[in-house]
Amino acid sequence: MSTDTTGPSTGAVDVVLVDDHHLFRTGVKASLDAGVRVVGEADDVESAVRVVHELQPPVVLLDVHLPGGDGGGGAEVIRRCTDLGGTTRFLALSVSDAAEDVVAVIRSGARGYVTKAIDGGELSDAVRRVAGGDAVFSPRLAGFVLDAFGAAAGDVATGDDELDRLSAREREVMRLIARGYTYREVAAELFISVKTVETHVSAVLRKLQLSSRHELTRWAAARRLL
Amino acid sequence: MRLPLRRPERGRWFAGVAVGLAAHLDVPVGLVRFAFVVLAPVAAVGPALYVFWWLTVPAGDPAAAATEARPTALTRLARRQHDVDPARRLPLAAILTGVALVLGSIALVATRLGLDLNVDWLLPSLVLLAGLGLAWSQLDHVPRERWRTESGRPTVGVLRLLGGVVLAGVGGLLLVGQLMGSGIEPAAFVQAVVAAVAVLAGVGLVLAPWWLRLVRALGDERAARARESERADIAAHLHDSVLQTLALIRARADDAAEVARMARAQERELREWMYDERPAPGTSVAAVVKDVVAEVEDSRSGPTGDPVAIDVVVVGDRVPDADTEALVQATREALVNAVVHGRPPVSLYLEVRSDAVEVFVKDRGDGFDVDAIGPDRFGVRESIMGRVRRRGGTAEVTSRPGRGTEVHLLVPVRAAAAAEGGEAR
Repeated sequence: MSTDTTGPSTGAVDVVLVDDHHLFRTGVKASLDAGVRVVGEADDVESAVRVVHELQPPVVLLDVHLPGGDGGGGAEVIRRCTDLGGTTRFLALSVSDAAEDVVAVIRSGARGYVTKAIDGGELSDAVRRVAGGDAVFSPRLAGFVLDAFGAAAGDVATGDDELDRLSAREREVMRLIARGYTYREVAAELFISVKTVETHVSAVLRKLQLSSRHELTRWAAARRLL
Repeated sequence: MRLPLRRPERGRWFAGVAVGLAAHLDVPVGLVRFAFVVLAPVAAVGPALYVFWWLTVPAGDPAAAATEARPTALTRLARRQHDVDPARRLPLAAILTGVALVLGSIALVATRLGLDLNVDWLLPSLVLLAGLGLAWSQLDHVPRERWRTESGRPTVGVLRLLGGVVLAGVGGLLLVGQLMGSGIEPAAFVQAVVAAVAVLAGVGLVLAPWWLRLVRALGDERAARARESERADIAAHLHDSVLQTLALIRARADDAAEVARMARAQERELREWMYDERPAPGTSVAAVVKDVVAEVEDSRSGPTGDPVAIDVVVVGDRVPDADTEALVQATREALVNAVVHGRPPVSLYLEVRSDAVEVFVKDRGDGFDVDAIGPDRFGVRESIMGRVRRRGGTAEVTSRPGRGTEVHLLVPVRAAAAAEGGEAR
């Protein structure tokens, strides 16, 4: 079973669910639609690392705050699973929408971030999107990105390889997502395809993970991230 | 309850002793001042008492000190409004320097006129007094600035102490020299000085470990108390808000809409308490907007009577002013419209840039024809668009059938203030 065969269109996506609250895991399992199948569960860092290595699912739904390990929570699980070589993708799921939690887990390699208030249909969509290799941005995460990269419109990246600034288009996409637009609505608003929106969002995610931008560092330091 | 004895910054004439005493004894400050003046001629009791209290009573706000003395579990969690206008203080240092200069010039003129002032005694005494004054003056400042700043550089306090010690030492030596008369041998004098310094150093060495232990114990105790108060904070908060709300929810379990509303309000409060940096009141547009959102969530219901949650995303922040106030009011109207007439989820996006503040309010309702809003529909036209346009801003309502309605508000702001707000973050 490889990741490519479990894309959005072909059958159910296998998911490992990691959360330390049994009640919440039950709730998530009940709310996911038929396109997503929970194949494993874990409730702390060690068991999560073990289960993920064992099952190597295309997607892991991962709580940010987890007991066990070295106290690194979800971010630690992602770091200890990097040896899987990116075949397993992580979608962070948290009740906290604090900047430090969100950005820490994204910077350690999660492909997206959603809050636990999300409804089942949207969560299933987000899982399929992550399985397909795309990034999932909530409005709040888009807000953090704009905050961290500077909201001023004058500071615009000129080349694709520039990691430290958003391009004008990426900024537009981020602002629309922050305003509560879905990817489809963003695409309609900007007269581009949904695929292009996903490309932009993935590019922003890469920048957020790799950038060493001075302001981002300072912004993170101010929130005791680094 | 009697307020503790402190020397407040506010309302002081000199060092705040009279104001502090008045607050402590709960008598008019005029009476205390009058007493000090009356007691002045009686063997200088007034000034002596004043100086004694100046030295021994710590500076600070009596009311704040009283709050701190209360158990943390009883005090409110939200920070109180800070004093905005700075306390007026007499420029004490400038006045003292001026007085010294005037006295000096009078003395100079007097000697010129042939008056025999005993300068031999006067000069050492003055140097000694200046040294003492310098060393003691830091008593006023130590509570606010630590011995070293965080960068590791010694603060003004240390310099003050060193300067005071040197001045007092020189003055003391001069005085002693004067006392001994001119017959004393310079060598014997130097010997005496060396002996005195040696004794001082010896005593210092003996007392150093004890002093160090004292300092360390103080630090430990302070840390323990901080932890204790933090824990009490959390316990008090859980009790006051979460437990109360849970009890209310259980009591009204049959009213689904009301339960959902209470749960939402409690979630919002807990979230803010746990995850948000709480800015000082009056310094953050974001906090003001969040308050407005809370108010709308608590007081308005959707078309079906269910409470509506509003997703808030904020980028940047600044100090509120009249322009942003108009924007916030217009935002409130837009939110009410979205909640009452639209369909959830309702999203609010606030972006604070250096040149403008922008707000987007979006709902997923059926939408309506914007051009069809009659001039009689006071709500949208006046309370949203008019407010913002009067501030030189723009207001747009975009509504498409099936895609919901979005209100876009933009108010230009002064760049300087925005930069200030950005720094404050």
